[in-house]
Amino acid sequence: MAYRWGMVVDLDRCTGCEACVTACHAENNLPTVGADEAARGRAMHWIRVERYWEGEFPDVRVKFRPVLCQQCGNAPCEAVCPTYASHQNEDGLNAQVYNRCIGTRYCGNACMYNVRFFNFFHPQWEKPLQLQLNPDVSLRESGVMEKCTFCVQRIKAAKSAAKAEDRAIADGSLQPACAQACPAGALVFGDLNDPESRVARLSASPRGSKLLEDLGAEPKITYLHRQGWHESNA
Amino acid sequence: MDEASRWGTPSVLTTAHRSAGDAFRAFFDIRTDPEQPVAFSHQLHLSKELVCTDCHEGVERGPVAGLPSVNTCLICHSQIATDRPIIQQITKLQEQGRDLAWQRVYGYPREAHVRFEHAPHIRSGVECSTCHGDLSQQTVATRVVEMDMAYCVNCHKAKQASNDCLTCHY
Repeated sequence: MAYRWGMVVDLDRCTGCEACVTACHAENNLPTVGADEAARGRAMHWIRVERYWEGEFPDVRVKFRPVLCQQCGNAPCEAVCPTYASHQNEDGLNAQVYNRCIGTRYCGNACMYNVRFFNFFHPQWEKPLQLQLNPDVSLRESGVMEKCTFCVQRIKAAKSAAKAEDRAIADGSLQPACAQACPAGALVFGDLNDPESRVARLSASPRGSKLLEDLGAEPKITYLHRQGWHESNA
Repeated sequence: MDEASRWGTPSVLTTAHRSAGDAFRAFFDIRTDPEQPVAFSHQLHLSKELVCTDCHEGVERGPVAGLPSVNTCLICHSQIATDRPIIQQITKLQEQGRDLAWQRVYGYPREAHVRFEHAPHIRSGVECSTCHGDLSQQTVATRVVEMDMAYCVNCHKAKQASNDCLTCHY
């Protein structure tokens, strides 16, 4: 049976601690570019925590929203790629093939979630930081786009292990680094094709909505509203 | 790699060919086989009815087949052919707690972003010789099969394995 990987983000649980951001950097060999280049918009974070203030000081509340690649089913980044570097794979992942990418950056412009990043620089780490690189993840050279892969290296490993034992991947046994690191369990990852999976049940919740859903990109990440802010609870 | 500027390699030389020499050798298909620490004869061992998995133990279990350590050699060679200089050299290495620095014969450049796993290929019945040639005819292993992408893709097509890019490149 084919998988269709998706995620649910429970905004009620997110505390904005950014453990997911750190975990993603460590897992996926994301280089840092330094303060000057970050100010020019060249920093790369496959997942970021957006922060929104609500109300006037001193009566303010802050809302956090983790944003990562929404793995759109009808992705605008795929349609504009001249080399098919960005394409939909059989598991519904929005794949980025580094070998094919020629760095036109059309995909980055087409993406309305701003989750695609261009490598302006060759990835470099000061010694001895190169020793902590994850050997299962490619180092992207300068001139290619990159983005969240839903930790495809973990998906591949889990699929391979499951196939060797002739079983399906059990729900909850596979997590990307961000979901694994989330102390509040705000990120839930799983197979949307399995109606019994936690992610499939949560994404059917009445609290659920998708980012910029009306644009028709069919994102695979469902955000669960904070209960107090939902119209029905107001 | 360490000398590369922050902005990457110059446009004349691609990431695959870091120097003029690299580009020249790639263009004329000149490749030298790596020099192994000892002149291990595959032909000799396979003629004694050993099989590949006796020494390359990881091949059925995981991504890498594995290059044998001196301990693997000495499973047999603590008893067999102990008078040969090579075996004595290996025995000495083990006594010193050192190991053989085997050199890879097959592999992919980092820029190819290829992730190859042995185990699924073995499970689906691909013979070792399909990709590594007939080792019973070789002494020290040499690169006899040109593993370019067409080679992989043709076999994947024939066996109806996935040809999605993410199958191998990520």
